[in-house]
Formats: sequence, C-alpha cells, structure tokens
Amino acid sequence: MEYRYFPGCTLHEQARNFDITARESARELDIALVELDNWQCCGAVFPLATDALINLVSPYRALASAHAAGFDLVTLCSGCLNVLRRTNRLVATDREAREKLRDFVEMDYAGERRVYHLLEVLRREVTFETLRSRVKRRLTGLHVAPYYGCLLLRPPEEMEFDDVEAPTVMEDFLRALGAEPVDYPFRTECCGAYVALREAKTQAAAQVVRSAAAAGAELVVSSCPACNYNLERVHPTLPVVYFTQLLALALGRDGAFAGQVPDPTPLLRGKSLLPEVS
Amino acid sequence: MPRIGVVVCWCGHNIAGTVDVTQVTAAAAAMPGVVYAEDYKYVCSEPGQDLIRRAIADKRLDAVVVAACSPSMHEATFRQAAAAAGLNPYRVEIANVREQCSWVHRDREEATVKAVALVQAMVAKARREEPLEALRLPVTRRALVIGGGIAGMQAAMDIADAGYQVLLVEREPNLGGRMAQLSETFPTLDCASCILTPRTAEVARHPRIELLTYSEVREVAGYVGDFRVRIARKPAYVDWDRCIGCMLCQEKCPRKVPSPFERDMGFKKAIGVNFPQAVPNRPVIDREHCTYFEKGKCQVCVRVCPVEAVDFEQRETVREEAVGAIVVATGFDVLAPAEFGEYGYGRYPDVIDSLAFERLNSSSGPTGGVIRRPSDGRVPREVVFIQCVGSRDPDRGRGYCSKICCMYTAKHAMLYRHKVPDGQAYVFYMDVRAGGKGYEEFVQRTVEQAGALYLRGRVARVYPEGDRMLVRGVDTLSGQTVEVAADLVVLATAAVPRGDARELAQLLKVGTDAHGFYNEAHPKLRPVETMTRGIFLAGAVQAPRDISETVAQASGAASKVLALFSQEELVADPLVAVVDETRCAGCFLCRPVCPYQAISTRVAGNREVATVNPGLCQGCGACAVACRSGAMALKGFTDEQILAEVEALCLRTGSPG
Amino acid sequence: MSSDWQPRIVGFACRWCTYAGADLAGTSRLEYPATVRLVRVPCSGRVNPSFVLRAFQRGADGVLVAGCHPGDCHYTSGNLFTRRRFSLVKRFLEYLGLEPERLRVEWISAAEGQRFAQVIREMTDDLCRLGPNRKMREEP
Repeated sequence: MEYRYFPGCTLHEQARNFDITARESARELDIALVELDNWQCCGAVFPLATDALINLVSPYRALASAHAAGFDLVTLCSGCLNVLRRTNRLVATDREAREKLRDFVEMDYAGERRVYHLLEVLRREVTFETLRSRVKRRLTGLHVAPYYGCLLLRPPEEMEFDDVEAPTVMEDFLRALGAEPVDYPFRTECCGAYVALREAKTQAAAQVVRSAAAAGAELVVSSCPACNYNLERVHPTLPVVYFTQLLALALGRDGAFAGQVPDPTPLLRGKSLLPEVS
Repeated sequence: MPRIGVVVCWCGHNIAGTVDVTQVTAAAAAMPGVVYAEDYKYVCSEPGQDLIRRAIADKRLDAVVVAACSPSMHEATFRQAAAAAGLNPYRVEIANVREQCSWVHRDREEATVKAVALVQAMVAKARREEPLEALRLPVTRRALVIGGGIAGMQAAMDIADAGYQVLLVEREPNLGGRMAQLSETFPTLDCASCILTPRTAEVARHPRIELLTYSEVREVAGYVGDFRVRIARKPAYVDWDRCIGCMLCQEKCPRKVPSPFERDMGFKKAIGVNFPQAVPNRPVIDREHCTYFEKGKCQVCVRVCPVEAVDFEQRETVREEAVGAIVVATGFDVLAPAEFGEYGYGRYPDVIDSLAFERLNSSSGPTGGVIRRPSDGRVPREVVFIQCVGSRDPDRGRGYCSKICCMYTAKHAMLYRHKVPDGQAYVFYMDVRAGGKGYEEFVQRTVEQAGALYLRGRVARVYPEGDRMLVRGVDTLSGQTVEVAADLVVLATAAVPRGDARELAQLLKVGTDAHGFYNEAHPKLRPVETMTRGIFLAGAVQAPRDISETVAQASGAASKVLALFSQEELVADPLVAVVDETRCAGCFLCRPVCPYQAISTRVAGNREVATVNPGLCQGCGACAVACRSGAMALKGFTDEQILAEVEALCLRTGSPG
Repeated sequence: MSSDWQPRIVGFACRWCTYAGADLAGTSRLEYPATVRLVRVPCSGRVNPSFVLRAFQRGADGVLVAGCHPGDCHYTSGNLFTRRRFSLVKRFLEYLGLEPERLRVEWISAAEGQRFAQVIREMTDDLCRLGPNRKMREEP
C-alpha cells in the first residue's frame, strides 16, 4: 500500500501532532505514506463561484503530481480532503475547467487518481477487522465523542464519505481501537470555523463540546485542525485530539500530545493508557 | 394491377370554390390503375355514398380513393359504405382536399395542382394496399381486481353490482388496505373503520365477488378480453374452510411479536388477524415468528382449536384464471424515514411517522386511542409535526408532492387537540396545499380552533435533551431559527410506490414513472386506463391521492371495465405491426422501443425471431423504424406505401409513378 | 430561377397531433402557401429517415417532420425517438452539404393550427430564399 501523502499546511505547524502520529501509525500498519514533493497549500476553501478556477490551481497541481508519480493521494485534514476531492471530481467531469487548469499548470491530468482520507484507507484497505487485531493497547473504558464537523461529509454527493446525517466510520474506527464511541446530536454540526463573527463561532463550538460532555464523553476526536482549534478553546476540561493520536496510542506509541490545551494526558494516564511520568 | 376508383367531392362550394374539381377528376382518370373517376356535390350524402357503392359493384373496384374532407370527418362513413358494397373497408383512402387544401389556399390553380397531387399520393398508396381484417377478440366477462383496499373494493363492487363476476386478490390476509390503519378521515373526521367495515362486509358477501386474500398475482399472459393470470395463495397454515373464526388460537398463542400493522408500537400473536374487525375473520400463522416452526414444539393453537383447523403442512397453491379486464389497485407505501438521519427516526423512539400517529389515535390501536408516546407512555404536551419528509425534495430523489400529507397533518393536529385539550401542536410546513372540497376550511379550523401553530420552514435537526426532543428549524416568515422542545415528533413521510410495484408492472406490461408509480394512458383524457388495453388503474398505485379521489377513480376504472364487457366481441384496428420471419434477423432491437411490450420471441425453425401480439400492438410503428432488416411492417402504413406517397407528392409534372 | 417558382415541401404529420393541427388550420381558414403536402403517419416515430432522404432525392425542396410535443405522444415515447433520431439525421444532411433550413422537425399539437400555418409560411420563405434543392435531387 503506497500513497502520495498531502499533509497540508497546518500539519507542519499547529497540528504537528496530527502529522507525527499519522506517519507513525502508517508505518505500524505497513502503509507507505510518501510525502508529495513540492506540495503547497490546497487553498483551504473550495470556491463557490464556478469561474474561480484560479483557486483550483494548487489542488490541481497536487493531484497532477501524484498522478505523475503514479500513486493515489492520501490526506488527513478534512479541509484538504474537501478541496482535493472536489477538485478531482470537477477535473474528471468538467472538460472546460480541466482544459483551463491544464493549460495554466502545464501538467496533464484528467481525474485518473483517487483522493483518500486516512480513515478511508483504514476502512477500505486495512479494514477495521485487521486494525482491531493489530491493536497493542486497547483503549478500553475511554469514552470518546467522534466529531465529524462539516467538511468531511458535505456536500454528500461530491464527498461520498459516509451517510451525511448518520455517519459511522469514526465510531467503527474507535470501536476497532477498543474505545467506546459516545452518541451525541452535534457530531456532524459545523464548529463555526468559517463563521467570521466571533460570537457565533464560539457558540457553535461550545454547543458541540457541551453536547459531547453531556453525553458522557471524556475526549473529543476529530480529523481537522481548524475544528480542534475551535473546540479546544471553548471548554476548559474536555480535551480534543486527532484520530491519529488515538490510533498511534493504540498501536503502542505514545500518541504525541505535546503542547495541547486542554491536556489529554492526565485522562489517559488515569485510564492507564499512558505510563506515569515522574 | 388493382382497379381503383376515385370520387372527388365538391363539398358544395367548400372544395369546388377553390379547387377545380372537374380538372382533378380528369387528372385522376389518367392515373395508372384508375378505372373510374367521378365528382359529386356531396359525397357524404346518401346519394353520394350510393355512388361509391354502385361504382364498386359496377366497375369491380379493388380500392376507392375519396378526395374530400379530412379523414377524421368521414373516413369511417366511406369505409362503411364500401363495406356495404362488399369491398374491404381498409381499401378506402381519403385525400384531404378540404381542410388541408381548399380551405387554406386562395389561388385556384395552385390549389388544384395540390389537390391532384394529394389524390395521386392516395392512389399510389391504395395500389399497394392489402385487404385487412379487423381483429375480433372474444371477451371473457370476468374482471380481476388486484388489491383489496378501498380502491379495489370500490371497483370490485361497481363491477359486481353491474352483474359481472369479479376476482378480488389481496396480498394481506384481510381486506381494508391502508385505510384499515387510519383512525379518522379528513375533512369530516368520520372514523375510518366506521365507513370501511360495512364496505368490507358487503364485498365479502357479494355473490359475484370471489375473494382471494393472502394471495398474489404471479403471472399475467394474454391480452384484453382474454388475460390468463396465475394467482398464488400463500399458506396460512390454517384451513380457512374449517375455521370458525373463534380466535381462541390468537388468544392462547404464547408468542408475542411487534405488529407491523401497528407500526411496531403494539404486539400481535404469531397466529391471528391484524385487527379485530378483519374480513375475512380468519387467522394466519406468521411462520417467521411461530415457535413451532422455529423449534418444532409448542402447538398450543392445535390444542385449543375446536375444529382442528391448524395445518402446519399447508403449502402454497397456484391457480390459473381467465379474465377479460384487470383493475390494479395495489396502493402505496410510506417512505421509511430511516433515510432521514437528521430527524433521528429509528434512534429515538419518540420520533414516529404519521401512520404510527394514526395507530395512536385509533381506538383499536396499541394505546386504545389515547395518544401516548412510545418511550414512556406519557401523554405528550407538545407535539411537532414535520411535513414534506421526503416529498418535494429533489435532492433526495423525490420532487413530487405527496398530496395527502397537508390534510392528514391538519387532521392529526386537530385530533390531538381534541384528545389533549391543553396540548400544543406545531406544524413545520413548506406550503399548505388544501385543494379539495372543504379542505381549506378544515385547515383553517385546525389553526383557529385547534390552535395549531404553523411554522413555515424546514427542520434541520431533531435530538434529545433530557426526556424531550429538541426540534431545531427555521421560521422563514420571521427569518428566525426556532427551537421547540417536544414530547413527540411526527414525520409526514412521502407516499411512495409499493416496494415491488415495478415487478408487478412488468408482469402487467404497464409503464411506470421515474418513481415507480403506474402510468396512465393520458394524464388528462385517459386517467384510469393504461397503455395496455384492458388494464385499468385505481387509487394510489398511480400517484398519491386521498380516499375520495381514490373512490372516484375506482368507479371510473370500473365503468371502463363495464364498457368493455358490454361489447359482444372486441374489435381492434388491424393496423398493427407484423413480422416477415424470413427477413427477421432476431436482433430484437424492436423490443425496447415498443411502448406496449407487444413484441416477444418465437422459435422459428432453428432460430429466434420477433413476433407481435396483435392484441397488444397499438400500431405506432416505432418497431418498423427500429428494424434493421426491414422485417417489421406496419399494416396500412408500410414503407412501400409511404414511399409511394412521397414519390407521388414530389412529382412536378408528367405521369404518376 | 423563374420568378413564379414555388418550393415543394413534403410533410410527415402524426395523425394525433400535427395532422389534426393542420386540419384545425383548415377549419379556422388560416391561409398559408400551397407548397406543403402532408403524409399522414400514425406517429412521428414511424418516420424512417429513408422517407426523408427519398423525398429529397425525388426533388422535394424541403421536408417537415412533425408530431406531438415531447411528453404528449399518443404512444408515450414515439416522438422521443423522433427527437433523438432526427437530431442525427439533421447533422448528417448538413454534413452532406444540404442547407439546414430544408429539414424541419417541429412539435405541433392538435390545438396549434396557427403554428402549423406559421411553420409552413416560414419554411416557404426560407426555401424561396434558398431556391430549388439541387444538392440531393436525382435528375431523371
């Protein structure tokens, strides 16, 4: 299993733990994630204007480079997945857009490659069944609120990621690690990341975290640096981690939790999932 | 060469005023094959028709061309006249020199030239004509009605009351269909079973209705007047002839399972009937849930039955029946709201669909007519009704309006208020569609007297908070998002075709729309007929509709059946497609283009060829164009005939071809 | 071209819609040029492209294929075949070098007598401008 890996900007900075744990986990699971040469920011937002093709130059270039290397593309960040997958779909279906992008970027690409989220690779290629058997440290007794947010799932006809109103992939993933997924109503609601009004944003994020906490969650798991940023800031006690951090932990690594506020490590130590430190 | 006669009509001044009829007659006389040409003032008059009859006899004519008004006016008249003189009526052709010539052109010379060309084309066509015999089909005066709901029962009653035998097939063990599940009906709030139960009893004891419940149609062959139908009777594991309907078995059966009839809110026994007033009042064993079938022991029913009617060895039986007409009244289903994760149906017990709410209202329902919510049996103080769940939602594949939901939701809100006077109903709606006699007034009463709060907007999410459900939506009239804490949420789910509607449609060779509703022959003028002659539609199988419309349509379908049965034999136009088997290559490109599924496969020698069922063919000619080898011919409009017309019409001068 | 030259149009009219529409033009006494001669067919889907080719070969200057509006076909789907089929036939004829105005495919209902007359007037005008069909006509 070899893929070209598109980390996306935040994973080299703010969300370094996301990147580190994904690479560690992939090595444990024999998934070769080879970082794409010379990648650049995906643009973070898929443009709503149909003629704003210039915004698609960067994702087109990433896709075309993966194609030139002969591999499908894998990414971790919900935002990157959203932009890359929708660009890929547009390139495959819209001849005019394809030709304009090709002429501009000067690389031939017509949507031949697939873009995967790491969760999809786990579901499709590794399978959760196998993953369960590879787990070295079962996350027993850990009550986790899976948080999908919006970009992983929407728009459903383009993302085709999971049932948009009742997704299950994160729950299945968590169960494979031995953790207990918590059901709460706001798991597919937006965290407010794209809302410019500060108050509306904190309200949206607070609602998600409050609802998860009320449902008995000890931890929120997401796959998006922007979501984590928002969620972490509205609740002083409920830690928010990336799904790869739990994956690495379950596969016997330390999960890389440095610098996160609220700090999830006391909780994990309390559950004996991390060794006590002096 | 056939001997052709041409008669040119003056139509008084109507034709002769613009067209030089004598010149047309003279030109016709010179056309090859024409042995007789005459003109007359009014050919459609009795002396005019007599002229045709005498010419046929005297000149031994093989075909007649009448240059006159449009064939839609007098083709039938002239064909009858010809037939009276012993000529095959399909050897009469009309050259339309009035509507399409003398009435629309002014220049006499041009009009005359055109009239000659039109006559010439018809002479050319007539020369290449074969005598055709009208198809005569016998009529079996016995109807099959599929579906024993209100639509099927109405159609069956109307046909049987007129004196004909009816076979009424119902899949469930009892009559009543969807309507049996309803509590009250809009806009009068009649109790559904009060109007339904007498009707089911009437149907069951009607001397001319044979009731086949717990049965399904498996095969349909033949055509109008002579359908052959195979009907399977599913095993009830109870000998209904012996059974006296005491229902001791149901009472004593130790096995309780959720009842689909009660939308899984109540229980039924593994043996018994769906509801107490079921007709016929005969029990059925639910094989999947019967302890005996599962484990090989129990047999409580066998022991308690006073007449030894229980029979675990019963098998499916299949019978073949001949009928002349079929009424399809198989009704509708409601969309499984599991598709709508945002409303949490299936996850939260207090989110139910409207049909379940009907059961909660019904005095024979699981709560005895007291509105209690499923989770804890509490009487709900606030109920949110969400309309258009799945309807008018093209993004999820259903752009159509289910039509009945606005009215039954208003009814629910009103009934709820009657039963819970201090309760509050909220209705989220897109538009309120209340077209129908007394309907709008009913909705207004719901708002004004029953105090239902109508909120125009969609619901985004339903989720639990504490022991209530929070409904988040938008009120588009005020532009505000709203949250309602409700004890019960009721989803007005889309009316959809039955799950196996398409399979039955294929058996019947009836077309369906994109969703699986059955297509009528014409949306305005032939709303109860299908494109397959002899098969008629009644009720929601065609599109969502309410009870009053359904009953009206069922009576319409019945009257079509009666019109069919009133004929001695059915006469069908012989202008149908026919296969030249020596030329047919067996590619079957003709089959998918036929709207009537009239083309089937036939083994001729060592290969397969196409064959056309003349009873089904309506003569559109699509197959004749699709045919690559020229094997398919449409009688009366053969390639040869049409090409001859084309050639004649293209001639500028000189002799006709 | 002599000044009194008039084009010749062969029209294929479905009996349920367009033929009845032409009759309505007659009963409404709507005048139109005597250039058109109709062939009555059960359905526009009965019109084999070879009929149209034959008309042009035999010297028709224009051909009209007309039926019920899509969705209104008496036989449900016949005119949908017509629509698909003749969009190809038209391209084919244009490829051969025939002027596109010479073949018209129209949807004219039984209520559209006015429209029938209008189509014939327009076609006649177009064909008068184009002159006789010399491209496909087979000289006798």
